Amino acid sequence: MQLEFTCNGRPVRMQADGSMRALDLLRDLLGLTGTKEGCGRGECGACTILVDGSPVNACLLYAAKLQGRAVLTVEGLAKGEVLHPLQEAFLEEGAVQCGYCTPGLLLSSKALLDRVPHPTDPEIEQALSGNLCRCTGYAKILKAVQRAADRAGRGDGTSRRGREAGR
Amino acid sequence: MSAQPVNTGELAVVGARVRKVDGRELVTGQARFAADLRFPGLLYASARRAGVPAGKLVEVDPSPALRLPGVVAVLLARDIPGPNLIGILPPFDQPLLAAGEVRYEGESLALAVGVSREEARRGAAAVRARIEPWEPILTVEQALDPAARRIHPGGNVTYSKKLVKGDVAQGFAGAQVVVENTYQTSFQEHAYLEPEAVVAVPGGDGRITVYASCQSPFHLRGHIAANLGLPASRVRVVQAYTGGSFGGKDDVATEIGALAAIAAVRLGVPVMIAHEREESIIGSNLRHAARIRYRTGALRDGTLVAGEAEILLDGGAYASESPFVTMKAMIHAAGPYRVPNVRVESTTVYTNKTYCGAFRGFGVPQVTFASESQMDELAAALGLDPLELRRRNALRPGEGTATGQVFTQSVGIGRTIERVAEKAGPRPMGPKPAEGPPAGAQPATDGGRYLYGRGVACLLQGISNGAEGIDVVGASVQMAQDGSALVGVGLTDMGQGSRTVFAQVAAEALGVDITRITVRQVDTDAVHDSGPTVASRSTTVGGTAVLKAAREVAGSLRSMAGLMLKCPPEAVRLAEGFAMLEADPQARIPLAEVATAAYWSGFPLMHLAFSRAPDARFDHETHQGDIYIAYNFGTHLMDVRVDRWTGKVKVLRHLAAHDVGRVVNPLGLEGQVEGGSLIGFALAHLERIDTEGGHIRNANFADYAVPSILDRLPTETLVVEEPSPAGPFGAKGVGEPPVAGAAAAFANAVADATGLRFTRLPITRADIAAALAKEV
Ligand code: FES
Ligand code: FES
Repeated sequence: MQLEFTCNGRPVRMQADGSMRALDLLRDLLGLTGTKEGCGRGECGACTILVDGSPVNACLLYAAKLQGRAVLTVEGLAKGEVLHPLQEAFLEEGAVQCGYCTPGLLLSSKALLDRVPHPTDPEIEQALSGNLCRCTGYAKILKAVQRAADRAGRGDGTSRRGREAGR
Repeated sequence: MSAQPVNTGELAVVGARVRKVDGRELVTGQARFAADLRFPGLLYASARRAGVPAGKLVEVDPSPALRLPGVVAVLLARDIPGPNLIGILPPFDQPLLAAGEVRYEGESLALAVGVSREEARRGAAAVRARIEPWEPILTVEQALDPAARRIHPGGNVTYSKKLVKGDVAQGFAGAQVVVENTYQTSFQEHAYLEPEAVVAVPGGDGRITVYASCQSPFHLRGHIAANLGLPASRVRVVQAYTGGSFGGKDDVATEIGALAAIAAVRLGVPVMIAHEREESIIGSNLRHAARIRYRTGALRDGTLVAGEAEILLDGGAYASESPFVTMKAMIHAAGPYRVPNVRVESTTVYTNKTYCGAFRGFGVPQVTFASESQMDELAAALGLDPLELRRRNALRPGEGTATGQVFTQSVGIGRTIERVAEKAGPRPMGPKPAEGPPAGAQPATDGGRYLYGRGVACLLQGISNGAEGIDVVGASVQMAQDGSALVGVGLTDMGQGSRTVFAQVAAEALGVDITRITVRQVDTDAVHDSGPTVASRSTTVGGTAVLKAAREVAGSLRSMAGLMLKCPPEAVRLAEGFAMLEADPQARIPLAEVATAAYWSGFPLMHLAFSRAPDARFDHETHQGDIYIAYNFGTHLMDVRVDRWTGKVKVLRHLAAHDVGRVVNPLGLEGQVEGGSLIGFALAHLERIDTEGGHIRNANFADYAVPSILDRLPTETLVVEEPSPAGPFGAKGVGEPPVAGAAAAFANAVADATGLRFTRLPITRADIAAALAKEV
């Protein structure tokens, strides 16, 4: 079928089998291998991409479903050489070990911060509970998301923890 | 080990909290893992699995598969040019493709090659296999029955060893208190997030390159070459970015690496094998399930006088690392204590189940759970505080381990106990402590739904190959004229951060910023064979080799700078990217200028250095002697809250103190401790491979409970630095030890909270709820 959607801000127009997995379309046809496969069954989150801003398991998504949508993969997070604040925070906090879970975690985190700029710990846990990581033990991932949220700031000069303490 | 002082002077990069040197490509999606690689003409291959645990393989018929469109070829055992064998310790016992006999359900029988992954899988499924099933041997008891069918020609005992120190009979005769129990642990899956993958690419020059997600590329190269019937020089293995391994991507990587290479050579095109999750669980090694009978004797003041253990490991269908796991479990069975009389028998047997091998901790988590449960049972019998009992028995410098090995320094177990004691604070209590019973003697409770408890566990973990063989690492350091340096070591980074550690060590020795260092990925054409990446040895043995090589290069730079600054080389210091006069740091020359001058003057700027751990020297009958170059020592504490109704356990507090010799990168260290602890916690509470009739029933992440962020531990890493002469700047590895500490502390905390001693891991929520329900 003829597929038209935007991927990482760029328009994509292509012929593809609509019944293939979005994961394979991204990896095999568009060469975007940053999106990983860990289980192929919606159980690990390694294949998480954003479709119109919402996290989706690309291993469970038909390519046809991308029609007319805006897709974001890990390759679209940085602006040129400048890393996204979440990418910076993941490196700074040591939230990356083998890095196989990282693309999915970055995108789930981005979807959360876009929706809730200053999430609480339970909100972060909830948003990331579908993304498995076998290496880090998760504490540093949580810290990285907090850090990115803090850094995004609120423009009122207070840090998130300062605000929470004051609540 | 000699008592030479360890240099612990001021350091610039070692000890600093630095980012992963290869982090950027990982967060941007640019890092290429094996399954991300694409080559023109690439074909995919998939194995037909046996699906039955035991039987006579009568016939494998590829014709139905070959009739399918998109299936290019099917390889059978007879198509393998070499011996069709892989393994760790000769004689090897594991076929690439089964011939004649099926020993476990995941056995590969044939390899289908197709134009897409899907077509390869369909082809594999279509291969017809005629297997006359045999009654599978599923338990250790069945395997050891003298009348049992032999799974391998040599019988069903994979490996069996003894450790004898002193005289246990005499030790027990003098004991005033004796405790005894039998403990069990279950099979655990590595569950690295990246399933195994390899791509084999034939070259025009008669060589073949295999890109692999793997742990020990030189080991792959050897087996791939042998099974291709080629000399090793014709095979090149390049480690792709590897999405976790934890000991797991060794045998299976050799298996699929060799199969892909054979198919690629035969067809003359690149071939990829990428496992699905289910294959990854069923078709690659697990952590051994264990049964450990343990007896401990002590004097009334808590002094340990005798320890006796009988360790039985279920190793599944093939030997893999079983011989070494058998030994390592045995050597660690007495814990980090002074025990004058020890006797341990350790045996692994074959069964018709998925084979077991290396998994972070390598037998030590299983025995530590047993020995630390014993310590708590002993403390209870003696009415002693558990931490106090451990304190009284903790090894001190100059005292012998269970193998009689004496370390005169870097024996930090006592200090880890003290660190934990200082930090521990009051015992956990319910929200209404006033109404609860006094802490200590009985389980603390809030009088209602929750029980509170505290568990501690001490451990040791040997660093280096030790009794497993010679331990040599070769490292190269090469400085370019711009003052940057390239480091090559034959040890792999699978996420644990060894490239960052090597970069720090080289940067320190060369006096440059860490961003000036590049650490190669392992390519067998470009780095020196350094043995397997195992046994928490990278930092210690690998780091030492990097340090030696970097110091040689630094020597050249100092000589050159001495000529330029008109002073003897010894008066030159390398720091901040400059060569400077020790006495007058303002007199300095940028390193790039020195390197350029050295290049033109013929001072060598590349060096290859070796670090060789002293060979283990021990008696093979009793295992008395010097085994490891160092031990990592640790003490963990967990405070838990147990929900009486549901059995749910919440970890309120987790302290993890480790004697790491010297911290190289606090960020990496915490990452190892946090990640390793969660795997230990999962071993103790969440994860169990369930088998039924020789079939794994939970080969997916829905049924196999890998912890999510909701299960994370509140781990606080506490550091003790007792420098070791064996490692660079005194550093000792820390990859494996936290697993054992967290698992054992969890079990003790649950026992403390519930008043019930659970003797089998995992202690699941259901186990706890059921046991507590029986109590009332
Ligand atoms: S690969 Fe999609 S959720 Fe695991
Ligand atoms: S960093 Fe390896 S799985 Fe998360």
